[in-house]
Amino acid sequence: MDTTPVTPRSRVRAAWAVPAVAVVAVGAAFAAPPLLASADTAGLPTVQPDELVTRVLEAEPQALSGTVVHTARLGLPDLSLVQVGGADPVSLLGGSTTLRVWTDGEARSRVSLLGTASEYSAVTDGTQAWTYSSSDDEVVHYALSPQDAARAQALRDDPPTPPADLPTPAELGRQALERAQQDATVSVDAATKVAGRDAYQVVVTPTSTTTLVGRIVVAVDARTWTPLRVQVWSSDDAQTPALEVGFTDVTFAAPADSVLTFTTPPGAQVREVTVPLPDDATLAAHGDVPSTLPDDPADAPLPDGVTVTGTGWDAVVEVSDVDVAALLAGDPSAVASLPDVEKSFGGGEGANQLFDQFMGEGDGPPVDLDTATLYDQLTTPVEGGRALQSSLLSVLVLDDGRVLAGAVPVDTLRAVAGA
Amino acid sequence: MSPADTTAPATPAGAAAVPAPGADVPVRHRGALARLVRAELALVLGRRRNLVLLVGLALVPLLLGVVLYLAQDTALAGQGPPFVSRVTGNGLFLVVASLFLCTPFLLPLTIGIASGDAIAGEASAGTLRYLLVVPVGRGRLLAVKALGALVFAAAAVLAIAVVGLVVGAALFGVGDLTLLSGSTVPLADGVLRVAGVVAYVGLSMTGLVAVGLFFSTLTEVPIGAMAATVVVAVVSSVLDQLPQLAAIHPALLTHHWFDFAEMLRVVPSADVLAQGLAVQAGWVVVFGALAWARFTTADVTS
Repeated sequence: MDTTPVTPRSRVRAAWAVPAVAVVAVGAAFAAPPLLASADTAGLPTVQPDELVTRVLEAEPQALSGTVVHTARLGLPDLSLVQVGGADPVSLLGGSTTLRVWTDGEARSRVSLLGTASEYSAVTDGTQAWTYSSSDDEVVHYALSPQDAARAQALRDDPPTPPADLPTPAELGRQALERAQQDATVSVDAATKVAGRDAYQVVVTPTSTTTLVGRIVVAVDARTWTPLRVQVWSSDDAQTPALEVGFTDVTFAAPADSVLTFTTPPGAQVREVTVPLPDDATLAAHGDVPSTLPDDPADAPLPDGVTVTGTGWDAVVEVSDVDVAALLAGDPSAVASLPDVEKSFGGGEGANQLFDQFMGEGDGPPVDLDTATLYDQLTTPVEGGRALQSSLLSVLVLDDGRVLAGAVPVDTLRAVAGA
Repeated sequence: MSPADTTAPATPAGAAAVPAPGADVPVRHRGALARLVRAELALVLGRRRNLVLLVGLALVPLLLGVVLYLAQDTALAGQGPPFVSRVTGNGLFLVVASLFLCTPFLLPLTIGIASGDAIAGEASAGTLRYLLVVPVGRGRLLAVKALGALVFAAAAVLAIAVVGLVVGAALFGVGDLTLLSGSTVPLADGVLRVAGVVAYVGLSMTGLVAVGLFFSTLTEVPIGAMAATVVVAVVSSVLDQLPQLAAIHPALLTHHWFDFAEMLRVVPSADVLAQGLAVQAGWVVVFGALAWARFTTADVTS
């Protein structure tokens, strides 16, 4: 083109300046809002840790709806293959997951875990709960047995009278703070913005140096005192939190009734699960509103077969006689004992025949492949069992039926197990 | 019309002399633009190749519906990608399932062919120079070509949707719609939501049309522009799979394509839908500007 410039150079330059400006304008339009959103929080009065904790305890539960992003960097093996099937709570173990939350601040709420063209919903109305998975069109209905439901209703109508020395939230807050300060330092960090709202930050830093937890940061809304974000930092990564759950947008208003109710969709498979209510004796033991927090959580009565070693953040919980294989198999004995379980597919007559053919052949319990595969992917074989090591929590499953868990490295668990 | 639109591209050295649009006197003819639009739409919608493409797309819901109808009592019923398993229960889902299956590749391929051909096809057939003689500026000519490509994209999405609705209603019937959230909405609301899905998918293709139009102004080989357009869509979806590139994912052309599912959640989030459309608008602005800059300054020799 050096011989005869057919279009004047200036004209060419001017024309090509238009897309250049377009790129800059579009880039700015997408980049600007987040930059503007991180505006200052200078107007917030400072608060002391004890005052902040008290305010949070005093705060009324808020009706709200919002979007929550859950990000886990637990150092677990990549589970992206598991997630191909659609929205599934398993995806919470790694990577970023978006959830929508609606609650009326009382008993009713809905949480939806969003996937690409799929969704996993959990709805509760206080006495019953449903989960619905759009990828396999299955409803799981959790409810109390009729007798238990009547008993729960009676309890609700006639709540146990609180003892006269019921502590005020301020008192409980002071106690909670003292408890936390036994094993950690509690401080208030610089105010921040979460989901566009001013928020105070409480930082809990464990004093122990052997635990995997570096610090926990809770951002609390400065107006409603609702926790808006929780970040858990592991002790070996100071750059990014290992676990982060926070609102990206939140509205404090009562959600529509249609969102908080659940009706089983026609044609969906329904699995009924009856949730046992503890018997009266147990309820009576726990029913009283505690006047104070127990002095040491380790003093609380533990179920049989559960022991706790160590204190504070280094505590290791040990459960003995766990049949891991049965759990992975979906506990066939438990499944068989539920007469309501509908062992059929939505796929019609042919599918059921096929299912029966396959099921008729094997002698062993039907193993839930997904669960078993997940278990194999997550854990690594160690001497005497398998171990799950994440950046915040370790679990050691021993071949002799003991399971140990704690916010400590696996080696510590093995030392406890060997002791 | 900017004065540049009437600037004459003179003859490059050695090439055959080409009359340029309104080199000396910009001649305006009342109604020329309208005639050009009519001619372009007739060309796009009447061209046999484009009709074959539309019929091919319309076959997707037909085949899918027939296969699901025949397989609904076998062991494989209820299997498959999202939405497909729901078609047998409600014919409305045949529209959504067909769009879901066509969105990753078939729809971009069809739209890439139409938009990549828009300018390059005329150039390769040697008719672009005659088009430039039409008393309509180059900017408007480009806009007319873009309109043709957009109309074809809309026709492609509507072909899937209409055939899906008819086949779905005929084979499976329509009724209250079960959303991804497990809630059930009345038929009228369900039809509105599915219409929203169709509209969102159609608008999601506008960015790709702009990309195709830009490539089409770069070359005289239409197949090259078509291939490049499809490659952009494919590369974009490949990049979308890499977690290492999570930072750029929200800006990718294909990243928000499947957000049409938002219409089928209990409370569709306007933010999510607006975000997806805003990204498409960004691509349209950038590649529309690139196509305009290229087309209004290029020397047309064919």
